[in-house]
Formats: sequence, structure tokens, C-alpha cells
Amino acid sequence: MNRTLEHILPRVQKPARYTGGEYNAVVKDRHRVDTRYALCFPDTYEIGMSNLGMRILYGVMNQMEGVWCERVFAPWGDMEEEMRREGVSLYGLESGDPIADFDLIGFSLGYEMAYSNVLNMLDLAGLPLRSEERRGLSPIVVAGGTCAFNPEPLSPFVDVFALGEGEDVSVELIQLYRRAREECWSKEEFLSAAAQVPGLYVPSLYEVRYQPDGTVAQIEPLEGAPLPVTKRIVQDFNKSYFPVKTIVPSTEIVHDRVMLEVFRGCIRGCRFCQAGYAYRPVRPRDPKLLLEQGIAACKDSGYQEMTLSSLSTSDYRPLEQLCDGLLDWCEPNRVSLSLPSLRADNFSLGLMERVQHVRKSGLTFAPEAGTQRLRDAINKNVTEEEILRSCRTAFSGGWSSVKLYFMLGLPTETDEDVLGIADLAEKIYQAWKETTPNPRRGVNITVSTAFFVPKPHTAFQWEGQISMEEYHRRVKLLREHMRGRSIKYNWHDPETSFLEAVFSRGDRRLAGVLEEAWRQGAKFDAWSEYFDFQRWMQAFRTCGVDPNFYAGRVRDREEVLPWSVTATGVSQAFLWRERERAYQAVITPDCRVQCTGCGADKLYPGGVCDAEA
Amino acid sequence: MPKHRLAFSKADTAKYISHLDLMRTFQRAFLRAGLPIKHTEGFNPHAFVSIPLPLSVGYSSACEVLECELLGEVDRDTVPARMTAALPAGITVHRCYEAARPVKELCWVNYIVTLEYEAGAPFGAERAIQELLARASLVVAKRSKKAKSGQTEVDLIPLIARSTVEERRDTIGLDLVIRAQNPGLNPELVVSAIRSECPDMAPDFVSFHRRAVLDGDFQPWE
Repeated sequence: MNRTLEHILPRVQKPARYTGGEYNAVVKDRHRVDTRYALCFPDTYEIGMSNLGMRILYGVMNQMEGVWCERVFAPWGDMEEEMRREGVSLYGLESGDPIADFDLIGFSLGYEMAYSNVLNMLDLAGLPLRSEERRGLSPIVVAGGTCAFNPEPLSPFVDVFALGEGEDVSVELIQLYRRAREECWSKEEFLSAAAQVPGLYVPSLYEVRYQPDGTVAQIEPLEGAPLPVTKRIVQDFNKSYFPVKTIVPSTEIVHDRVMLEVFRGCIRGCRFCQAGYAYRPVRPRDPKLLLEQGIAACKDSGYQEMTLSSLSTSDYRPLEQLCDGLLDWCEPNRVSLSLPSLRADNFSLGLMERVQHVRKSGLTFAPEAGTQRLRDAINKNVTEEEILRSCRTAFSGGWSSVKLYFMLGLPTETDEDVLGIADLAEKIYQAWKETTPNPRRGVNITVSTAFFVPKPHTAFQWEGQISMEEYHRRVKLLREHMRGRSIKYNWHDPETSFLEAVFSRGDRRLAGVLEEAWRQGAKFDAWSEYFDFQRWMQAFRTCGVDPNFYAGRVRDREEVLPWSVTATGVSQAFLWRERERAYQAVITPDCRVQCTGCGADKLYPGGVCDAEA
Repeated sequence: MPKHRLAFSKADTAKYISHLDLMRTFQRAFLRAGLPIKHTEGFNPHAFVSIPLPLSVGYSSACEVLECELLGEVDRDTVPARMTAALPAGITVHRCYEAARPVKELCWVNYIVTLEYEAGAPFGAERAIQELLARASLVVAKRSKKAKSGQTEVDLIPLIARSTVEERRDTIGLDLVIRAQNPGLNPELVVSAIRSECPDMAPDFVSFHRRAVLDGDFQPWE
């Protein structure tokens, strides 16, 4: 280990985050590889190591002969300070080498509030922030992940965005890069070729012009770059890479367990949900394969906890079969199995009981809205009766803790809908009173409300976010109607959701605001220790940008949306139709009941969409 | 007393794994190595492992001991290689043996403390530190959870059995044999005594290495 680092580490919190050397970390001989890739996660080690996508891409790239992919996370403030003082630039955890010397630097973008960390990490690496100032072929800065579906606010900083699932396109990008190096291409030549690879968006090859009113007038592709750039998906989810052999951190992380991904995509079509639209179509993994992978991953890692993961795990058709198979192995081997993201409508107490036979953790439901009308409007197809029935079953089975998640500020929401949240909580309390076998123990009902953020590529991408004042009014209204000591109400502060609304539907002019906020010290904006809303508001003023133009404004159907340069496969016409149905409070059946022609099946020519399976 | 012990060393990147994280790491490593160990009884059973004398984060050690109970028929000679292969970089298991002596017989610890000076070791440092450690009494302030003021005083001299000081070019090496437990002495207190009593000799950086654990007769404890 590097001597300077040895001097720094005793002075920082949780130094094991900065050393590498974990079990299964991939160490290659730096003299025997030709391509070095820095896979960066713009948040802490504990968060980044909990991300399954990181583990998949790490495995996929390290399987390639001659490629060494290393992990890089955002150092916490104390470590950053030490690094800057001692002149240590951002390094790959596996080799300790500075990433500025790597060939490619890839960022995973899961959350808009991590953008300031992307800039901070480029700076810590000693690289110029802006793509145009990094003249050579290396390093190429790549970014992917959910936020890449609106890449525009980060476009001046990133050379190439990868849209959709990264398993295949990361390999293709590396192959193209190798060719470019062998044939001595310039960076411009490389980017021009990269733009022709399906799923790769090269922002410098698009010229964006604006109307006098500030909306986008035209997006013009240059050098034959495609418009739009359509996302990539894994075609055969049974053959795609799964990290059976994966890094086991030597220090505790957030999700410290084996994660089994049962399918990609979601059948549901909740109108607010970006993931639900952006990861279509549904592609399940064979339960036998999952069983093998789950057992192998537990044996290899020594983890004693396994979890099933997907956007809506109870929609996995062979769920019972899979759980039976897993439990047959897990129970004698003292491995506990957990099932997050179960829906209230097909909640099965038997399943829950079998899975959590040791500890009865709380139940969690996300009705999202307080009245049936509003739930229909957002296409959250769960009824009050289903929620109450699930609760009754659970309460009579001895559960005594329920968490309910809602959003405030959904399109068409009225005060009646807001008060419906309090009503639902009250009805759940009554259901507990009627069904509990041990009334003396009491019940905990926790209601949480988040501030709705309209996201690109959803049915609500044209909506305005309600103002923060209006959000506060609705919170107050709800708070005044929450009764009973058994019901606890938590609400999120709206500032981060407001900024999320700005950046998730922003355009290229926000890049200046981002850079200015970073210069004024913005980083780790998802962490209350660092977040400073006034710093952001000052950055908007300095740059002469009105954040409400992005957060609060309702868009016309004709408006050229900044993110229309990217495509998820779900058509804009479908999304508009869904928006109209929302205003009529008409539900759209899920993919299994009926194909609604969203268009995503066209991405999957060889496969069978889940609706037909 | 748990039946088995593993003698292991902790170096390089593994120095920064904390005591609790290390226990968790070992629990998983036994599973990875396919070596079942005894679990605790009770409501939430977990693999039982214990590491006497927790090592501070950042210290290296050549003489760590983990207590556990291997189940079934195990060829103990194969355990070190199997465990080392299942552990993070920097942790090496050297031996697996049956526990014979209780932990309370572990009385002394041998540390190598290296004081580093960016501008070279100050003139007279070796001598000054030797004299400091040769005093009849050397009282330093120590943080305490019990004392109301949050501080208590401790005399280091009775807790130091042997000390040699050796000057090299830009470092000074202290070879210390100090009390392990009841009460133990944290070698950092020796360094803080140097900082406060000989401020000119204050090092820029200090590294700590645990070289051996010893019994009451200064013989290796295992």
C-alpha cells in the first residue's frame, strides 16, 4: 500500500472503505492488461457496494481478457480533505493507481442529487470537468444508469452516455476503444464512431437550439448521429451475467447480502414510475437457474442472508416455487431469505410467515395515494379493500407494525385525496383492533409522505411539480387530521425533491448551475450533513436560471422535451395516452391482462413479452 | 473455553478492518472454506468466534488469535491454507491448534512502535526517549468512561516490562513489552508521553505492530 495513504488512513472514519483488498476483489497484473476501466459510483462505499448494477458491470468487464475494471467511490469529507492536502488523487481501490491514467472512467447515475459528486470526483481525479477540455483519447468519461435517460444537465461533462442496461454495451464500448487506440484515432474520431453504437449517446454530436421562451426549439444531430438514441436491453436474461462470485466487503455496507434479481422490467405501468416504463419489457429469469445462482452465491460469499430483488417481486410467476426451493436449502444452512417489494394485492401471509419465521419484521405497503380515485389516476392498481384484507390477515397472524408510503402532489390531487391518507390509516387502525390476538401489545402505523417528482419518460413527464409552499400546506392539512397515538406521520423535506424535479427534467443550461453549485462546495447532496439548499438557490441566481421553469411548469404536448434525444422504447404517444387516462381516472390493465401497445416489445424481437408467456 | 484456536497475522490493507468487522469476516470465511463451526445458542444463533485483545484499527499484527470450535472431523493441518484462501488480502492463518491455556494467562504484549520523522530523527531523540522510559514514574492523562471529568491518570512505568529504543535514519523504533490486560496499556499512551514530555521529539507519523503475545514468564502464549 502507498505510504501517503498509510499516513492518511488512521485519521479518517471507517478507513476500510478506502483500501480495497476485499474477498473476491479482482486484482490483475497492471503490466499484462491493455485497458483500465474505473467504475465510479458517486456516493459512499457503503451505498455503492450495495448496488447490484455495479457488481454486474464489474464482473462483466473483468471477465474480458486484458481489461481491468476497478471500483471508485466518493470519499467522505474527512478523506477528501486529507487527499487534497496530501496531494493524493482519486484512485482505483484494486490497484491504488490514479484513475486519471485509466482508459475509461464510467459513472453510475442513479439519483440526480449525486451529480455534484460526479463533478467532485472528476476534480479529485485531477481531470478537467468539461469534456471539451479533455482533449486526448484517454480517459473517456462514460455515464449510465437511470438518470442517463435525461443526460442533458450532465452533457458538457460526459463524453458518452450509455442508455439502458449496460451488460452488452460496456463490452462493445471497450472493444471500440481498443480499436481506436490501435488505429491512433483522435478523441473526436472515437466519439463519432461511438455514436453509431446502439445505445450510446454522444452529447457533443448534438446541437440544441432554444426558443425565445426558453423551451427547446430543435435538437440537431451532427455527423450522422442518430435521433433518438434508443436504450439497450439484455435479450436473454437467462444467459446474461450474474455475479455468483462477488466482492464481500470487509466492512458493513447498506445491503450486505446476496441479491437475486428475479426479473427485469415491470408489468405494472404505474404512471409516476420511471423505472416501470424505462426498464420494459419484462424478462424473467428461470427459477431453476435462480436457485442454482442463489445457493452458489451464498456458498461463495459466506453471506447468511439472501434477498430477492426486482421492481415488483410478487409479480414473479414462479415465486412460490422459487421460495420453496430456496428455503429448502436456506433453512438447514441458517441462511435467511427476505422478500422486499411485495405488493399488497397478492400478499400471501403463508409465504411471509415461512420466509420470516424467526423475526416478524414490519409490513410495508406503498398505496402512494389516499383515495381510490387518485390511485386509479396514477394507475396504482391496488384497492383499499385489498390493503385492508392484507392488514387483517397480517394482524391476526401477530404482526403489529405497518408502514405506509404515500406521495403528496400527484397530478389531480385534491384536499380530499390528502385527507384520504388519514382515513386509510384510521381504517387500518380499526382493522387492527378487530383482528389482533394481543390488543395489549399495541400497534405501530407509520405513514410517510414524499414530495412527488415528475420524471422524464413517464406519463407525468409533462406535469408541473406543485410548489414547496403548497406541499407544506398539504402536509399541514394531513398532520392536522392524523389522529391517535398509534399512528405516526413522517414527511420528507421538499427541498431535495424540488431540486430533483429541476435536474431530472432539465436541459443543458443547468450544467452551469451544477458547476457553480459545486464550486461553492456542493457535494453529497443526498446527505443532510452536506446538503445546503441556499447554496443551490444562489447558484441559480448567479447563473440567471429560474428553477421553476423546470420544476413547476406544465409542458405542452408539442414541446420538444430535452430528453427526447433518448428513447426507452415506450412511445411518447403511449405516454400521452396514459396521461389523458390519468385525468379521467381510468386505469390501464397490466401487461399480463392485456398488451397496451407501449412499444417496448419492439426492443425484444427474439423474446416473448411477459404478457404472452 | 472454546476448543480451537487459529493463529493469524493482519497486515497491509487488512490493518484497517475493525475488530467487529473482522469477526464478521471470519464467520463468513469459515462458511466459504466449508468449515462448520459451533453456533451460539439462543434466540438468534450465530457462528461463535472470539478474538482476545482487540487490535486497534490501523495496527498490524503477527500474533492474532481467534477462538472457535470446529465441528466434525477436520484435518487441522489443512485449516490454515483453506482459511487463508477464504479471507481478504492481508490476513494469513498460520496455525490451527487445540486451545490449552486460558486467555487470562496472556499477560504481556510485544509491540514494535515506529516513530517516523519527515525531516529525519531529531538529534538526541534516542537518548531522550530512553531516559523518559527509564524514569521511576511517568504519569499521563488518559480518557476514561468512568471518571466524571472524562479523564484519569495512569503511570506507564509499572505497565512497561521492557523497552529498547533504536534510532534509524528517519525513524525511531521502540521495542516494547507492555501489559496486555487487567489493566492493559495502550501503546499510544507511550507515544503521547513522548509528545508531551519531549515535544521536540514528537514524530510526524507513528505505526504500530504487534509482534508477540506473551505469558507471565515472557514466553509466547498461544
